[in-house]
Amino acid sequence: MADELDLLRGANPVPSDGPHYGDGPLDHNAERHLDRLLHERPAIARRGPRLLWGLAATGVVAALVSALLFTGQTTAPAIAAPRPLVVRADSTPVSLKTLAERAKADARDGEPELRKGTHVQSWSMGMSEDKPPITLPEERIVRWNADDSHTEIVVATDPRHPGRPVLVEGDGEPRVVDDGHVLSRQTYPPSWSDAPPKSPPPHDAVELSAYLEEAVRAHLSDHSKPLSTSELLDATKILLDHWTLGARESAVLAGLLADAEGLRPVGQVRDRLGRGGQAYVYEMSGARHMLIMDPADGAVLGLETTFTKAEPEYGVKAGDVMSYSAWMR
Amino acid sequence: MSNDEIFAAAYREHYWAVSRYVARRLDGRTSEVEEVVAEVFTVAWRRRDDIPDAPLPWLYGVARNCLANAVRGYGRRRRLVDRLGNDDTAHGRHIEAGPDAESPGAWVHEALARLSPPDQEVLRLTAWEELGIDEVAVVLGCGRRAASMRLHRARRRLRAEIDRMSPTTPAKEHGHG
Repeated sequence: MADELDLLRGANPVPSDGPHYGDGPLDHNAERHLDRLLHERPAIARRGPRLLWGLAATGVVAALVSALLFTGQTTAPAIAAPRPLVVRADSTPVSLKTLAERAKADARDGEPELRKGTHVQSWSMGMSEDKPPITLPEERIVRWNADDSHTEIVVATDPRHPGRPVLVEGDGEPRVVDDGHVLSRQTYPPSWSDAPPKSPPPHDAVELSAYLEEAVRAHLSDHSKPLSTSELLDATKILLDHWTLGARESAVLAGLLADAEGLRPVGQVRDRLGRGGQAYVYEMSGARHMLIMDPADGAVLGLETTFTKAEPEYGVKAGDVMSYSAWMR
Repeated sequence: MSNDEIFAAAYREHYWAVSRYVARRLDGRTSEVEEVVAEVFTVAWRRRDDIPDAPLPWLYGVARNCLANAVRGYGRRRRLVDRLGNDDTAHGRHIEAGPDAESPGAWVHEALARLSPPDQEVLRLTAWEELGIDEVAVVLGCGRRAASMRLHRARRRLRAEIDRMSPTTPAKEHGHG
C-alpha cells in the first residue's frame, strides 16, 4: 500500500537515476568553479542578477540615493514605475507575416552577424515582500571576447533621462555616458556551454524552435507540446538577453513569431529608447505582452508586460507595467 | 587532510546531489540551478572550517539558505504570474486537475504545494533526498525530536490533502513508488 511518502517518492521531479544531475564526474563548469574556489579564493560569490534581482534593486536604490547624497544634489528624482508604451492611434498595423517577410529579405546578405552578448535596458516591478514595488531601470552590456571570457557592465539608467541609453560602445570598449551609476563591472574568465541559451542560436526555423524550447522549458516539462505563444515570448527574452541576433537569426525568429497564435498587430509605438516600432500584443488572463519589432528589418526591439486587471494585494493597478526590456545592437 | 582538501572532496562527491536538491526546489528553472549551486559551494568554501564529517546534510542546509535568498524576490512575482493564469509557462511543471491526470506526479506536487513551506521541506528531505531523521535535523538546524515531530505532522497533513483531492478513490490505487 502506497503511503503518502511513497507517493511523494514516486513524484520526485529529479530522481538520482534520472537524465539530469546524475552522479558522476564534474562537468566543465563545475570543475572550473572548484578550481576558482581553490586557487582564486574569491571574497564574494558571483550572484546571478536574475536570481537576486529583488536584492539588487534594493542596492540600486541605495547606491543611487548615496550617489545623490554625496554629489550634493538636493532634489532626488522621483522613482516611479514606467508608463506603458502608447500605440499611435493614427498608425496602420503591419502584420507579423509582412514583417517576417521583410526580415527574410533583409537577411539575404547575412549582415549584420550574430554576436554573443547583449545590450539591454530593462525594468521589472520589484516584488520584495516588504518594499514598494518600484525599482529603477538598468542597462546591461555583456560582451564576449575571443578567449571566451566576458565582461558585464550594469548601470542604473540616468533617472533624469529615463529611457536614454547610458552605455555606449566605442574604441572596442563599452563605456558609460552621462551619469548612469555603475552597479557592477566584472570580467569573467573563459567559459562555454553547448546548451541553450548559451550555445549559438541556429538559423533554421525547426532548430531555432527546439533551441528556444530548451532554453525556456525545464527538464521537468512535457517536451512533446509545441511552444505556446507566451512561452515563445519568454524564450525570445531569454535569447535576446544572451545574444545580439544577426539578420539571419532575426529573420527566423520573426518567422516563428509570425506563426504564433494570438499575437495581434496593433500599430506603431515609440519605444523607451525613442525608436519607432511595430507593436504586437498577446493577451493573457490578467496581463498583456507587447512585442515591439523594427518595421524595417523585423528585429525584435523590445518586450513589455502590463497588467490588465488590478491586483490590490500586490499594489498593482490595471495598466501598470510589470516589466520591460529594450534590446540594442 | 587540510580543510581545503576536505572541501574539494565534498565538492566532488556531492556536487550532483546538491544540484538535484536545488533543481527539485526551483521547479524546473534549469538555467538557475547551476548559479545557485555555485553560490552554495562558494558559501561552503567560506565556511569550510565548519564542514562536518558527513557533509551532505550540512550542504543541503547551506543550499536551503541560498535558495531562500534566490527565491525571495522571485516568489512574490511567481505567485502573481501564477495567479494571472500563466502557470503553464516557464515553470517547468504542469499542475493537473486531479489524480486521473496523465502526469502521475503532478497531483502529488499539488497536494504538497498546499502545505506550509516547512512541512513541504521536511517531506521533500525525507522522500526526495532520502535523509534519515538525524540528517533532516542537521538540514533544518533543529534537534532530532523536533525534526521527527515535524515529519510526523507534515505526513499527516499531506495525507489529508491527498485524501481531499481524491475523496472517492483510495490513494493507494495511484501509488507508483
